[in-house]
This record gives sequence, structure tokens and C-alpha cells, in this order.
Amino acid sequence: MAGAGGGGCPAGGNDLQWCFSQVKGAVDEDVAEADVISTVEFSHSGDLLATGDKGGRVVIFQREQENKSRPHSRGEYNVYSTFQSHEPEFDYLKSLEIEEKINKIRWLPRQSAARFLLSTNDKTIKLWKISERDKRAEGCNLQDEDGRLRDPSSVTALRVPILKPMDLMVEANPRRIFANAHTYHINSISVNSDHETYLSADDLRINLWHLEITDRSFNIVDIKPANMEELTEVITAAEFHPHQCNVLVYSSSKGTIRLCDMRSSALCDRHSKFFEEPEDPSSRSFFSEIISSVSDVKFSHSGRYMMTRDYLSVKVWDLNMESRPVETHQVHEYLRSKLCSLYENDCIFDKFECCWNGCDSAIMTGSYNNFFRMFDRTTWRDVTLEASRENSKPRASLKPRRVCAGGKRKKDEVSVDSLDFSKKILHTAWHPAENIIAVAATNNLYIFQDKAN
Amino acid sequence: MEFKLEAHRIVSISLGKIYNSRVQRGGIKLHKNLLVSLVLRSARQVYLSDPCPGLYLTGHPGAPALPQQPGESVAGPPAGWGEPPPPAACAAWPEPEPQMELPAVPEVPREGDAEPAATVTGAGDTLQGGEAEAAEAAWRRVEGLRETAVGGAGVPAGGSDVFPQGPGAARRPCGCPPGDEDKMSASPRVDGCRTPRPAGPEPPVPPPVCPRKRGAEGVGGGPADCPAPGSTPLKKPRRNSEEQPGGAAAGAAAEEEEEMETGNVANLISIFGSSFSGLLRKSPGGGREEAEGEKSGPEAAEPGQICCDKPVLRDINSWSTAIVAF
Repeated sequence: MAGAGGGGCPAGGNDLQWCFSQVKGAVDEDVAEADVISTVEFSHSGDLLATGDKGGRVVIFQREQENKSRPHSRGEYNVYSTFQSHEPEFDYLKSLEIEEKINKIRWLPRQSAARFLLSTNDKTIKLWKISERDKRAEGCNLQDEDGRLRDPSSVTALRVPILKPMDLMVEANPRRIFANAHTYHINSISVNSDHETYLSADDLRINLWHLEITDRSFNIVDIKPANMEELTEVITAAEFHPHQCNVLVYSSSKGTIRLCDMRSSALCDRHSKFFEEPEDPSSRSFFSEIISSVSDVKFSHSGRYMMTRDYLSVKVWDLNMESRPVETHQVHEYLRSKLCSLYENDCIFDKFECCWNGCDSAIMTGSYNNFFRMFDRTTWRDVTLEASRENSKPRASLKPRRVCAGGKRKKDEVSVDSLDFSKKILHTAWHPAENIIAVAATNNLYIFQDKAN
Repeated sequence: MEFKLEAHRIVSISLGKIYNSRVQRGGIKLHKNLLVSLVLRSARQVYLSDPCPGLYLTGHPGAPALPQQPGESVAGPPAGWGEPPPPAACAAWPEPEPQMELPAVPEVPREGDAEPAATVTGAGDTLQGGEAEAAEAAWRRVEGLRETAVGGAGVPAGGSDVFPQGPGAARRPCGCPPGDEDKMSASPRVDGCRTPRPAGPEPPVPPPVCPRKRGAEGVGGGPADCPAPGSTPLKKPRRNSEEQPGGAAAGAAAEEEEEMETGNVANLISIFGSSFSGLLRKSPGGGREEAEGEKSGPEAAEPGQICCDKPVLRDINSWSTAIVAF
């Protein structure tokens, strides 16, 4: 049975068969709020996979080296490091609790043996250094083996310490803390292609930081109106262009995307390009504004396209054409008639993310009932798959799912009314080079690979 | 008509969300509240357009569309979505002093407007709790409308013990003495002090000009697993303590609230301390309180139904009441 998803560069465009690989997380029906995964991100090489959760923890998985003696564990991801990134805080002045939930993780490109990532909650961004230690020094002069300092006067002879191997220890240390720059809730961070700066975006402002400097940031976009009563839209996501270090885009709650060029002026309030698709007047409803709000924006790896996710669809835009997207893919159009109920139970505010595969031939996004969708841009085929424990036998193929929007429900179809809206897949990630995907289903992280892999 | 039903429901749900956002962990989410306020505005527009027979509105010729409660929008310190004040200001100390307003200006022109436009209340400060006030202000407009209508409609049958005052009376949840009403009973619920709203006759407002812009979307029955929105535990509004501008109708109206279909509505009534116009006599004759009381029960049981395509006539009453209550 064929599945869509053009895949990473090797496979490009062929029909793929996705198979279960691993699932991480507790099996319990009772999910602790703190364990809910809130962000997933592969590193640039794909050998590390980071997740953040609502409890402020970051868990990093590392892909095992292929081992001929254990062929079945080829390329499995195992826990590499776990650390508490953010703690809950209380802003006494405003009487506000600041949630520790990790909103985003972004890896820095690798420049040394150590790995660096940025993690952010609503208010504070932290740069973490993850380093390995597999040797320790023995025979120090000024401290004994327990680490207690020796009295220098008792040292009568000097020796050179010897490095001895030890069990691998992975340490995570916060190297920079970028705080107090955001009044509103941070929704995005994005590392620039210059590898020196990054942006952080909240509802009304985007700030530019230098990775080395924590006490200063530059405000580059500010859409706060002088009179807050005139507020009509907020920033929902922002990203730097993958290759042009002066270009960034940000999306708004009105469904528009603005591309800014930092060379044009210090404050990029005036956009260079403005992407908006005219609304279809026939589909107007009370909730039109909500469902047009863009929840995620991602540049393609090539930098030629960008993709936006709104409540019901994913759109691919050509940066050279502002008037409308070049592709629109319906994620779960059957929900359009349910918007009122989805408004009631708050699901309409869910912020789904989207991602590209390594060669930009396929895109993926999540839906409800633990379903996620993949769209192959070359063959124009799409598939709905499910992340569930039932399909969790090793290397078991995933069967495409179908939702019956109305009328007679065929066998194997799921009817719209039986969808479980508490099982939502908001965060997915695609390995930068291979056909490996990570799908976060509440507190579980599923890893799927294609059969060929 | 079905649009109005849906609009009613959506309004009450929206108000519930705004209320709940005040107590959410992590502070008020600007994005979500902005979206909710947009929905609220749309629904309110629909609701206020074309009076329906049997509903409030046109007690007077040239029925007021938007209640003009003088000084109503002065309801709080400058509102807005604003950011937290500088540390020195200390204004942010937990004061659910509502400080937000609906960002959008209602389409209906106001003439002879004694009050500053309800949407404009100055700079914002904390991000906290403001939307509640925004919603409240929005609803006061609606109320005022009803109040005037009721004044014309006469006293409904259901006596209520409570309500003596004139229009524009506001319930002060924290018991702050109102500017004008001394009979107002203070609710023991302490929500924070609201600026007293001077009562006074509302100048009649021209009928709404805005045509209904949106049609209700046809929604199928909600999915079975959709919980009621913002299901905060229901605190029965303290009917007896609410005053009711315009007279006795309030008591009856209050009763209906009791079975209000959305838990939030009851909460909101208590929290927002809106005046109970009770004018929203479901029918011109009034006196259908008991009937409504019963009806809202079954409706309460099937919130999903409300959103369905077929408006249920019986819902109108509880809807109206719900709206009026605010």
C-alpha cells in the first residue's frame, strides 16, 4: 500500500511506506500535564532530536550508530540528555505566573564537539551547551580524588595529571540567559544563517539578539498600536530566511505574512513583501478570522518557498508571488462545519505546526485523533496516518486512515463525530536528510521511518 | 432568527472564555483573547441587527440599538490591551480591575452620545483581566437597550423581590457603594472594585445600521465529545441580590439564568455584575418565566444542539435572557 511523502533527498518523489520505529513516553492513560510535549526539533545533522514539554524539561535523543552486530537497532533514537530548562516563575509586579512550558527549541549549527540549542518559554530564552565528558583527570596536584582542595603547603612534589576514561556523561549547561526583553508571550525563535544572531518574536514585537550578548537586544518589528484599542492583529510566528541573513518573515493572526529586509531600515515595520490570499466571501462565518490565523510559518530548505499553517489548511507560497499561495492543501476540511463546537471546546485555538522534508518535496502537519497528514508536492498525493500504540509493532507499516465526512461510512473509515479532539498532533518534525519523522502525540513521541531506511 | 440564536450562544461562550482567561496560568494570552473578541463582536453585530419579534428591542420607536449608558465605558481605569506599567506604577497588583476593551469599534454610530465610545477608554495598562471589562461594556450596551425597552413594556408578571432601581444600576460585586443607587445590594463576591457606573437615563440610540454581515455557519451537531466550554463550576448567580433597572422583570429573568445552558453565563452574571434588565421578556406579554425556566433545563442538557442548523424556537427565550443578563 502506497503512502505519500516524497521523503528525504534519497527517495524523492517515490511512494513511501511509513513504518513504526519507536515510541517514547509513558503508556499511562492518565497523562500528567507536565509531560505533554510542546516542541520537537531535529538538529541540523539529524543525529539529535530534542523535545520540550510543558513541565519545562528538555529531552534530547541521539541516534545510535549503525552497528553491524545489532542490525535491528539501526538508527534508533535513545535518550542522550535530559535537563530542566525552565522553571515556573512569578512576576510579582504584574501578578502573573510565567509558565515553564517550552514553546520552542532551535538548534544552533554545529561548530565544535559541543552542541548548542536555544530553548524558550513565554518570557526567557536560554542557550544551552550540551557537551560530553568521557574522560576525567586523575592525579591533580591541588585537589585530591574526592575533589577536596589540598592545602598548597602540603604539596611537596608535582605530577602531571593523567586523563582516564570514564562512563560517558552528557552535561547540559545554560551558557546564556536572554531575559526581560518581551512583554508579551514569546511564540517563536529563529537562528539566523549568520550563526551569530537570532530573533525572538512575541505577540507584538520581534527582537534581534546576538548569541553572545544577553543584556541587549534590538527591536526590529513592533506592531503595537499607540492606542491598544486599535489592536487588530498579533504576530503569530516568525522565521529567518535559511540563506539570506537579512531576510525574515512573520505571520499574523489575520492570515497575512510579511517579509522584511533588515537592510532597508533598522525598524522593519514596513514590510518588503506582503503575502495575503483574498478571503472567499462565500465561506464567511463567525469564525473566519480565527481559522485564518496563521499558526506556523516555515521556509523551505531551498529558501524559495515558505509554508503557512492555518486551522484548516497548509499553504505553500512562492516568495516571488504575494497575491496568493502556489499550493493549498486541505488538512481536515470536514471540520469546517464543526467550527462552532470547536470554538466551544477551545480546539479552534490549537496551533498546529508544519514541516518540510529535506528536499522540500513533501510537507507534513498534524490533525486530531492522533492523525497526521503528509502531502507530496510532486505527485500531489496526500495521506493520513495515525500515531497510536495499536500500530506500534516494530517496523509495522502504517495504514492510511480515512475520515468520513458525512453520508455512509465505509469500513475502516472514521466518522467525524468519533474523532477524539483531545488527541491532537500539534508538533511534528522531519529529519533533514532522511525519511525519518518524529510526531508528538500528547505525551508520547513517535518515530516513524520509511521501509527502505 | 437562527443566526441570532447562534449569535447568542456564541456571545455567552465568548464571554465565558474571556472570563476564564483571567484565571489561566501564564497570564492572559493576547492572541486568543483578540480572536475571542473578534468573534464576540461579530456575534454581537448579528445579535443586534434586525430585531426579532418577541425579543426586546423596540419598546420605543426608533429603538435604541446600543444602550447608552452614560459613563458606562468609564467603567474602569483606562483600558486597552496595554502592556504592564512600569515597575514603579504598581498598578499591576492583583487587581482584576478590568482594563481592557474590545479593540474594535462597533459599527453602529452613536449619536448624542453621552458616553465616551465604549470602545475607547484610554491607554491600557496591565494585560490582566481587561477583556472581561470589554465584554461587560459590550453587554452593557445591549442591556441598556433592553432596559429602555422594558421601561416601555411594562412590568412583567414575575415579581422579584429585589430590584428597585433605575436604569443603569450596576451591581457592584465588591460592594462599593454605587454612585446613585443606595438600594443596590452588594454581592459578597469580591471581584475587585469596579468603578461605579453612574446611572442615568440612557439616551436613545439610533437603530443599528449595520446589516448582518455574517451568516451563521451551518454547523452540524457538535461532536459528542466536545465538552461545554470553560466549564467552571457553576455558581448560581445571586438572583436576589441583583438589582434590576427597570423593575420587576429581573427576578424572573434571574430565575431563568439559573438553568442557563452555559455555565459560564451564570458565572459571568455574577462576576460581571451586569445589571439585570430582565427586560428581555421573551415575549411581549411577558410572564413566561416559568416556562422558560423549565425550558432552559433541557437546553442546558444539550449544548451541542444549540449549534445545529435548525434553530430551536424554545431556545430563543433562554438566549434572550442570557444576553439580557449581561
